[in-house]
Amino acid sequence: MSELLRAKDLTKAFRSNTALNGLNLSVNEKEIVCLLGANGAGKTTTINLFLGFLEPTSGAAIVDGTEVTADLKRARSKLGYVPEQVSLYPTLTGLENLDYFVKLGGGHRDESHLRGLLDQVGLDQGAADQKVGAYSKGMRQKIGLAIALAKGARALLLDEPLSGLDPSAANEFCRLLRQLADNGAAVLMATHDLFRARELADRIGIMKSGTLVEVLSPESLDQAALEQIYLNHMHDDETVEEA
Amino acid sequence: MSNVLSIAREESRLWLRSRLALFALLIFAVLLAAVSIATSLRMSEEHRERSEQQALAEETFLSQPDRHPHRMVHYGHYVFRTPPPLAMIDPGVDSVTGQSIFLEGHRQNTAMFADARAGADLGGFEGLTAALVYQLFVPLLLIAIGHGVFIREREENTLAPLLAQGVTGNELYAGKWIALAGVTLALLLPLAIVSAAAVVRGETLLASFGVIGLYALYLFVWCGLILLVSAMVRSRALSLGILALFWLASALIVPRMAVESAVSAMPAPGKIETDLRMQAELREVGDGHNAGAPQFMQLRANLLVQYDVERVEDLPVNFRGVVSEVAEADVTEVMNRFAEERMEFEVRQARFAESFGWLSPVVAVSAGSRALSGTDLATHHRFLREAEDVRFDFVQGLNRVHAEQLAYNDDINRSLNEEANRRTRMSAENWNVLDEFSFQPAAADERLARAGTPLGMLSAWLLLLTAGGVGAARRMQP
Repeated sequence: MSELLRAKDLTKAFRSNTALNGLNLSVNEKEIVCLLGANGAGKTTTINLFLGFLEPTSGAAIVDGTEVTADLKRARSKLGYVPEQVSLYPTLTGLENLDYFVKLGGGHRDESHLRGLLDQVGLDQGAADQKVGAYSKGMRQKIGLAIALAKGARALLLDEPLSGLDPSAANEFCRLLRQLADNGAAVLMATHDLFRARELADRIGIMKSGTLVEVLSPESLDQAALEQIYLNHMHDDETVEEA
Repeated sequence: MSNVLSIAREESRLWLRSRLALFALLIFAVLLAAVSIATSLRMSEEHRERSEQQALAEETFLSQPDRHPHRMVHYGHYVFRTPPPLAMIDPGVDSVTGQSIFLEGHRQNTAMFADARAGADLGGFEGLTAALVYQLFVPLLLIAIGHGVFIREREENTLAPLLAQGVTGNELYAGKWIALAGVTLALLLPLAIVSAAAVVRGETLLASFGVIGLYALYLFVWCGLILLVSAMVRSRALSLGILALFWLASALIVPRMAVESAVSAMPAPGKIETDLRMQAELREVGDGHNAGAPQFMQLRANLLVQYDVERVEDLPVNFRGVVSEVAEADVTEVMNRFAEERMEFEVRQARFAESFGWLSPVVAVSAGSRALSGTDLATHHRFLREAEDVRFDFVQGLNRVHAEQLAYNDDINRSLNEEANRRTRMSAENWNVLDEFSFQPAAADERLARAGTPLGMLSAWLLLLTAGGVGAARRMQP
């Protein structure tokens, strides 16, 4: 299996605060890796470094063999990104938003294809033609996922995409992610949701104060054990504010 | 490139869907159209009226009955400065410098009948021209529409997904620039229509395109500034505050500062002091009314020698007419010297004030607009010089009639009786010495050359702001 995301001694410091300290992590195709950790543990910083929103202080973020700082455009062309709040243009409809982002990402823009994508992420056709100003968070997240799908991204970066979703929407979202991974995508997801992480992930990384302190295989743990390990790590955590 | 156009198209679509932006655009479109039409009508009416007055003045002069030629010298004549076609856009100094001059012998009168006085009862609203709207108000509209172009992407968190889609900061900048430039070009439509009307009325294409180009460049400077500020700051309120402050400084404070600085750096010599100095010189020269004055003794002696006669009565020319001719030339030389000094001084002051265009694009565009429209100080000075040429030519023409056609003896004895007086009346055909006067704007390339410095200033502004904007956009992160 090829390695689509790789953090190599990845470090990011904001003045005296080290938000990420020598992270070494890789995510292969067909794999979902969830990063757990308290606020400020370095999860979002990791994702922002892969997206090129931040410059690493040292080390490298590599996307499908391309170092992000060396060729940002090429690296981004292989990435799909779903933030905690998928922000869209409220005066455009769901379909128009999708069309716009797909156009910018260089994806296929045929309307029936786009509608098919919306259907695939579970957004009904009536909603697709509504302005997104009236969308629920779950609907927005679906559009975000549809944008990533349309781009044909090989690696997906998700920054707490489940927060605020109702259980049914979260289940649906996780099902879609699994489907994408099974189709070959590498998924790196930052989350606080231990339950979903255990259900969904192939590996779980626990981050604390900018350091990856443990990588677990959920198959070997039950929910209670995972919670215990997580809480043990969080017990004396000193949070570092991320930028 | 396709990303740039997509961003531009999307930005325009957002503005069109925003009722506020659309409403503001409509209000400005109506204001621009109304002001452009009103200024066009006013200036074309001015043109018609002054052309008619000019023709009437010439007709009145030529229809004068047989008279003593020197009476015609003092009867005088009017010349009118007809506004150039592009005055429909920018009347420039027209309203403050006067539009007509009374021409007579031995004097250079100042221009009179300024619009500023004629329109005083309109409370100053007649001064709202298309040029003023473009210089002052259109930038405000652009600020209102564009101050949040980048900030909105940050505030609504759409910047991160955009960048994640592979859009670069430069593409984003170029797309927003094209969108704002598109609004600018749409706002230039009324100007283009008025410019086309000016071409129909005889203006050259070069000058008309020059004016449109100048205003496009000026408004692009504002686009560049708006994008730079929007890319650099993180809140709409701050962006709006900075841009409003710049507008205030650029449109109101710096122009005022420019004038005040020019006045204090180059204080004008007092009018009374200058007039007294000139009058003293004129007295020394003499105006020729008294042919026996000491100033003309040498002339008298030279003429007697030249024609080998003993008395002025025996000269083949009328000595009094010759004195008038020579005196007029001498007086004119003195008056022209003072006038040129004054005009040179005014030009230096104006140049000093215009150099503030490096600090304010409004100062630069207003100078360029006046130059290209043919309504600047240089044009007014040319009007004064051309009017003076007309004055000198017709006065000297009449003086030659006086010297060559009127006998000296009849001239000095004209008060003896009616018959003597009648003999000094020259045929009205002689009044044809008056040339027709039709004031025309300078050639387009000459006006373009005069607008060179303001165009250079605006280009420098645009380059600087664009470079800053591109730099800020390149570093842009969510």
